[in-house]
Amino acid sequence: MSTTGTLEYTPKDYKSDLKPIWCPGCGDFSVVQGIYRALAAIGRPPHEIAFVSGIGCSSRIPGYTTAYGFNSVHGRALPIAQGIKLANPDLLVLAAGGDGDGFSIGGGHIAHLIRRNMDITYIVMDNQIYGLTKGQLSPTSQKGRVTCTSRFGSLENPVNPLLYVLAYGAGFVAQASPTDLAGMAAVIEEAIRYPGFAFVNIQSPCVTYGEEGQQIKGLKAISESLAGLGHNPADRLAAMDLAQHYGEKMHLGVFYRNPEPPPTYGDLVKERQALLSKDALPKERILDLFIKK
Amino acid sequence: MRKDLVFGMAGSGGDGIVSAGDSLLQAAAAEGYHGVMTKSFGSQIRGGESSCRVRISTTPILNPGGNLDVAVALNWEDFLKFGAELPVSGNTVVIYEAATGIPEDQIPLVGVTPLQVIAVPIAAMAKETAGTERAKNTVVLGLIAGWFGIGAVAVMKGIRKKLAKKGEELVDANQRAFDAGRAFAMEHPLKTSMNVAVSDTKGAVKLITDGNDMCAAAAIFAGCQFFGGYPITPSTEIMQFFTDHVWKYGGAVLQAEDEIAGIGAAVGASFAGKKSMTATSGPGMSLKSEMMGLASIAELPLVIVDVQRGGPSTGLPTKTEQSDLFAAAFSAHGDVIRPVLAPTSVADIFRITIEAFNIAEYYQTPVIVLSDQEIASRKETLDPIDTSQFKIINRVQPVGADLQDYKRFKQTENHISPISHPGMLGGTYLASGIEHVESGAPTNSGSVHQRMNDKRTKKFEPLKDRKDLFEVTGNPHAPIGIVAWGSVAGVCREALDMALAEGLNVKLLVPYLLYPVAEGVYNDFFASVQKGLIIDQTHLAQTFKLLRMHIDLPKGVKPLARSGANPFLPSDIVAALHSLLSELQRSHEGNLQPQE
Repeated sequence: MSTTGTLEYTPKDYKSDLKPIWCPGCGDFSVVQGIYRALAAIGRPPHEIAFVSGIGCSSRIPGYTTAYGFNSVHGRALPIAQGIKLANPDLLVLAAGGDGDGFSIGGGHIAHLIRRNMDITYIVMDNQIYGLTKGQLSPTSQKGRVTCTSRFGSLENPVNPLLYVLAYGAGFVAQASPTDLAGMAAVIEEAIRYPGFAFVNIQSPCVTYGEEGQQIKGLKAISESLAGLGHNPADRLAAMDLAQHYGEKMHLGVFYRNPEPPPTYGDLVKERQALLSKDALPKERILDLFIKK
Repeated sequence: MRKDLVFGMAGSGGDGIVSAGDSLLQAAAAEGYHGVMTKSFGSQIRGGESSCRVRISTTPILNPGGNLDVAVALNWEDFLKFGAELPVSGNTVVIYEAATGIPEDQIPLVGVTPLQVIAVPIAAMAKETAGTERAKNTVVLGLIAGWFGIGAVAVMKGIRKKLAKKGEELVDANQRAFDAGRAFAMEHPLKTSMNVAVSDTKGAVKLITDGNDMCAAAAIFAGCQFFGGYPITPSTEIMQFFTDHVWKYGGAVLQAEDEIAGIGAAVGASFAGKKSMTATSGPGMSLKSEMMGLASIAELPLVIVDVQRGGPSTGLPTKTEQSDLFAAAFSAHGDVIRPVLAPTSVADIFRITIEAFNIAEYYQTPVIVLSDQEIASRKETLDPIDTSQFKIINRVQPVGADLQDYKRFKQTENHISPISHPGMLGGTYLASGIEHVESGAPTNSGSVHQRMNDKRTKKFEPLKDRKDLFEVTGNPHAPIGIVAWGSVAGVCREALDMALAEGLNVKLLVPYLLYPVAEGVYNDFFASVQKGLIIDQTHLAQTFKLLRMHIDLPKGVKPLARSGANPFLPSDIVAALHSLLSELQRSHEGNLQPQE
């Protein structure tokens, strides 16, 4: 992402007048704060930012910013974000949503965005539950979890979002949590600055349907800083090793940052457009393509 | 001399039947004829049966024609699989492969005695002259040149160009095969000569293309800069055209991971301010319908091409049908109006696609172009089109005062609100699938929902006055009227000409705008009508039912509907018109009886 802000922005320049629908104490309040801070640090004016989401509690988030927002349909933030980025590569494009939106109904899209390496930052607010529909099992719920759709305990293993994106080759993978707001803002900023697809998983507690161990106190107890562990974020295999502990430990910080970012999809599109533009017939003569001599 | 000839040829996949059809069409175009070529296949990946129809005429052509004048069967098994798509009559000359071993008086066509039947040792001639049976299709072209006077020079000129890179030897082998076919024809003249008159536009520039390529070219002409889609027969060539060309115009194309992502990316590109498009067929339409609802409520311009095939589900993936009409009009959830346009030919899909973009941009709405397999894959020769006659409409954007306290969904007199896009200073807003107030902020309010539903439906009222999206031909006061759209319209146009020539008092309405239903146009049309037919290629008579939802059709107006892959022929329609006429006469006689 080009980051040539000339004006000074403060976090509140990115805060809209809409009042969040979230429950008091919801982790997503911290996430939106983290996003305000990261955007202010980067300094792109709000109208040059497109912020796309799907459906769910956390997918309301674009409306709470002053960017161009798109609160779309369930699971489809990423396709829409890609269309926006391809239509106007100069925009800063953010996508966000919950674990159900991203890894269940929309799970098929992530792999393809990663292999295209478009310069889009994707923030998942992972709370291991469907909150908006009042407490059903989610793709990151632990096996055995009792919810209103799993009265006798879940029979399924959870998705591991970190391993998922690492395995597909994401160039930037990080995890954050409201337990460390400054760290979260820094990680989001770094993700946006990374030139290519960047993924941030945020452990964002659901105060209404979440289990006790998943609240701030519980998360703090299992949190561990990757920097503190001396993890080298250029080491993808080490990142995958650490990511295996998703669900047991909460590692915070950057798991993986490709030290030599390859060209993004947008770069390649620009190259192709430049290469082929000389072959363009004027549009009004496009039917000449069909002349048989 | 004839002015018109319809060829139908069938063989197995490797026989090169379709490539022979291509060569014939191109040669005919080079000789100044008008031509239409349709292809039909089994759904095998390779091999299996394949066929084509080529119609050649000295005057513009409205459809692929009725019964064949010339049938070519490289083997009977494959030919017969096409049934009603390759109808043989008493006026047909049948040419077939002698190696089938079937005597000329025992060919397996039930209930018909063709004009003439000729067994030709096509494979043997190919082997003898070109050293390989693969030249069978070139022998057939030589036979056609000899018997029907088409392509004597132009066919080989085309083949020579096509094979130039493959070496002189192959070109010479084909020349020998062609000459052998032609010589055979000369030595065995037809009982009745069937030569086509020389075209008076010989030497004029002609375009040759099919409906899918024409649709994509029209989109790029209209300013479309983004295509998102997923491969599906028979629409895929639209995406292929974009991958070949859109980059040159600063645009992009995304072959997405699925149908939903394809339309999703197109929705995103439109939100970002670019004209965008997706294309699919029936099963893809089902997958895209949630996104269509999103584009309607977020009021985003978008063009969706549905190239119809036989359905439901996989249905008849390589055959044409018109049975997605209900899906096009109604498949989104909620109360929503989504304009549906239908082209009737390769020539007019250019105009209709441009219209689709204009309507999408003006009304800020998804628009469906309801094409069909026949239009999509049939090739037509066309006279050059003057593109300067087409006006291009772009979405209305906020300026000056609009951007002070900008309201994206502002109520206006015509219910259309200036639309901003990311990058525009002062225009930021929240686009959403959730109901929203004028600013775009989410709401649950029933009264707002009512007002916004009003806005999103009333804005389309002027569309129903677009008389230029309807075509009425024949006698304007006729008591007999028929309605047809899409590829069936071309058949009905020809039938109408035939009926008028016979002195029948009839008329035809061809709607290019199928939805919203323009009640006024139909009421005007039916004002004089006592007997009529609503004709479509569906099993449920969808067009008849759609019209009856909106219009009090005269009692004597009935459906004439038929499932896909059973094409209507002009003669079918003329026969139907005759029975309407006798019904009408009978009812008039009835009216003469003393009444209470």
